[in-house]
Amino acid sequence: MGLRGLLFFNAIFALLPITVFAGAVVEGRVELPKSHFAPVMAKRYEIVTTGGVLSPQPPVAVVYLDGSFAKPPSPATKQIAQKDLTFLPSLLPVQVGTRVEFPNLDDTYHSIFSYSPAKRFDVGRYRPEERPIPSEVFDTPGLVTLRCDIHEHMRGLILVLNTPYFVVTSPDGRFRLSGLPSGRYALKAWINSKTTREQPVELEADTVLHVDFP
Amino acid sequence: MNSPAEANKRGVVRFRTKLVGAMMLVVLALTALGLYFTQRKVAATAERDLQENFQAKLVSLHKIQELRHTALTERCGELVSKPRIHAALEDNALDLLYPSAKDELRDLMEEPEPSQAEAADSLHARFYRFLDATGAILSPPNPQDVGELGAEVKAQLALKKLPETQQIGYVSETSDASDEAVDEVMVVPIFSTETGEVISALVVGFKPFEVISKSAGPGLKSGIWMNGRLHLPSVPKSAQSAIGDQIANAVSKSDSVQNNINVTINGAPQLLFYKLLNPESLFPPAYEICLYPLTESVAQQRRLRWQIGGAGALLLLGGFVVSHLVAARLSVPVEKLALDSEKDRLQRRRAEAALASTSEELERSARYSADASHQLKSPVSVLRAGLDSLLGREDFKPEVYHELSALLHQTYRLTGVIDDLLLLSRVDAGHLQIEAEPVNLGELIEEWLDDLSALPDSPEMKIEKELPAEIYVAGEKRYTSLIVQNLLENARKYNRPGGCIRVAARRDIAEVVLTVGNTGRPIAQTAQQHIFERFHRGAPVSDISGHGLGLNLARELARLHGGDLRLLRSDNDWTEFEVRFRVARPSLRRAAEVA
Repeated sequence: MGLRGLLFFNAIFALLPITVFAGAVVEGRVELPKSHFAPVMAKRYEIVTTGGVLSPQPPVAVVYLDGSFAKPPSPATKQIAQKDLTFLPSLLPVQVGTRVEFPNLDDTYHSIFSYSPAKRFDVGRYRPEERPIPSEVFDTPGLVTLRCDIHEHMRGLILVLNTPYFVVTSPDGRFRLSGLPSGRYALKAWINSKTTREQPVELEADTVLHVDFP
Repeated sequence: MNSPAEANKRGVVRFRTKLVGAMMLVVLALTALGLYFTQRKVAATAERDLQENFQAKLVSLHKIQELRHTALTERCGELVSKPRIHAALEDNALDLLYPSAKDELRDLMEEPEPSQAEAADSLHARFYRFLDATGAILSPPNPQDVGELGAEVKAQLALKKLPETQQIGYVSETSDASDEAVDEVMVVPIFSTETGEVISALVVGFKPFEVISKSAGPGLKSGIWMNGRLHLPSVPKSAQSAIGDQIANAVSKSDSVQNNINVTINGAPQLLFYKLLNPESLFPPAYEICLYPLTESVAQQRRLRWQIGGAGALLLLGGFVVSHLVAARLSVPVEKLALDSEKDRLQRRRAEAALASTSEELERSARYSADASHQLKSPVSVLRAGLDSLLGREDFKPEVYHELSALLHQTYRLTGVIDDLLLLSRVDAGHLQIEAEPVNLGELIEEWLDDLSALPDSPEMKIEKELPAEIYVAGEKRYTSLIVQNLLENARKYNRPGGCIRVAARRDIAEVVLTVGNTGRPIAQTAQQHIFERFHRGAPVSDISGHGLGLNLARELARLHGGDLRLLRSDNDWTEFEVRFRVARPSLRRAAEVA
């Protein structure tokens, strides 16, 4: 089962706060940069670099509620797999302290490393059946660029966030964040490595706030 | 007689000398020409061989160099595409740049440093550095890991801007003059995977390629000339600066990136080849210098020149000997010719004198014979006239008349002899000219036969004729008639009573053959060969008149007419003569007919 099941599990997990706590909800649409590519049927993203900017393709954004929130008592574990010589997903937002596993689903070696200031690591080269699955804990907020030492074209992004409230928009830019705490915050939309938009929001319990990022 | 012979001898000697001289000149010219062309050809061949040899060595050298360069380029290109190096540069992790590169360049840097002789084949790097976006050197955290550099080299390495393409440069360290080092530097631009711009450059320094001459023997040496300085370790320091100046001179004069010049190192001539190593480089131009010693080739050429000279001298000597021999050989016939011509001249002179005297004698004899016949004829005429007048008298006894008549007959005979002698003397003197005209032979014969039959003492005899209707011969009628008369008279004279005469004429190609046969006692076998001699008579028959000149005269005349007279047969009561005349030419005959 693997990936699909995991993703499904993740989605259920993300929706839990809405039903349980019924906090504030923000929904809206992020105006995404125009894609030059035909829409990808499978929900797979790649990181492309154009003009020194790393961005997911087809374009999606990560919308998150910025602020200082308590770390979860038990660190979550997420996965970025390597499949068909790409990272899957290619863009992964995580809360600080999250452990990310890098399962190798290809038939070849991979050697994932990052020289990004937010996280420098090098898991070394490993085979598909390597156990335990190589993993790293990301405890500094920032953008981490993943590279493979063997396949120089491979790029993956991990957006390490302070907040547990974040969501990846749909390809048309729509998002919905629910179960949010009340108060004044900055709602941010990360669009690519150079662009993060910001909107101040005032959240109230059981209200749905509509915020668009033009 | 003596002086012309000596003159001849002198002439022969002169001729021989001239011949030898001329031949020597030719030999000399040919030898000189041959030597000149041989020398030129040899020199050209030597030059071409040298160039080919040099080029071959150079080509093989360049091939190795090229291979090494290609390997280095490939290696450096590989290095600059390494994800870790890109990650360090692009992900703002410059502190990880050198550590990452250390891993990637480990094979280049940590290879044991090769010996000087192996440096050419090795890809061992002496140092490496990265340049930042402005072209300045990014300082390594631990210089000993990446190869330490002096300040001077660092200054040479820094570029004003980052290159877009790979650059080759040469840097030298002159701080320690005793151990001057040149490094070949390869600068490879690093393009950002994110922006596509040049964000850095990898600089790798290698030992430059140099062919080390084995055991200081003759061979190719290579070095580098840059910034006005020559770096050629195998050449003594003192010579380096001198050659450096010559190269600077040659480079400044010509725009070509490569050329040959001749230089002299410690008195030994060398062929020097220079070639720009880094055209269009951001680094100052550096020239590859190759030295090829010419000592051997010069020595070889000198040896060849001596050999050619020796061969030429031998050739000249051989030519001299041969021309001498040939001249001697050639002058032998000339000498002989000269002697012979001298002899010939003498003989000719003698022959001429003899001829003159003979001619004189002949003239004299002809005149004598003419005078003689004249002197003879006059008394005979007087004698005959006297006898005639005596016969006219009537007071003699009848026996006296008989005697007188016999005497008169003898005077006629004498006249005939004299006439014949006169004619013969003219024939002998060659004074008798034949004026050929067509003569009707048949008519002539008929006339004479008529005359014969009319003679008073003619015996009874049968005459057979076999004559064509018209038969013309070429000749003078007078003499032709004389021949015919002689033959017919003989046939009558020597015939027997009741015998026969047979006359026949026929054409035989260009001749007319006339045969006259008669019955009668044949001519004795022994006498047959003498019958054409003068004063010879076929038979000692006293009753037959004749003086022994007729046949001789007839034959001489026949021969004068281009024909001949001979005895066909004389046996069994039959004697037959044959005379041949030339047939008259038709034109002549026609002319005669018209006349």
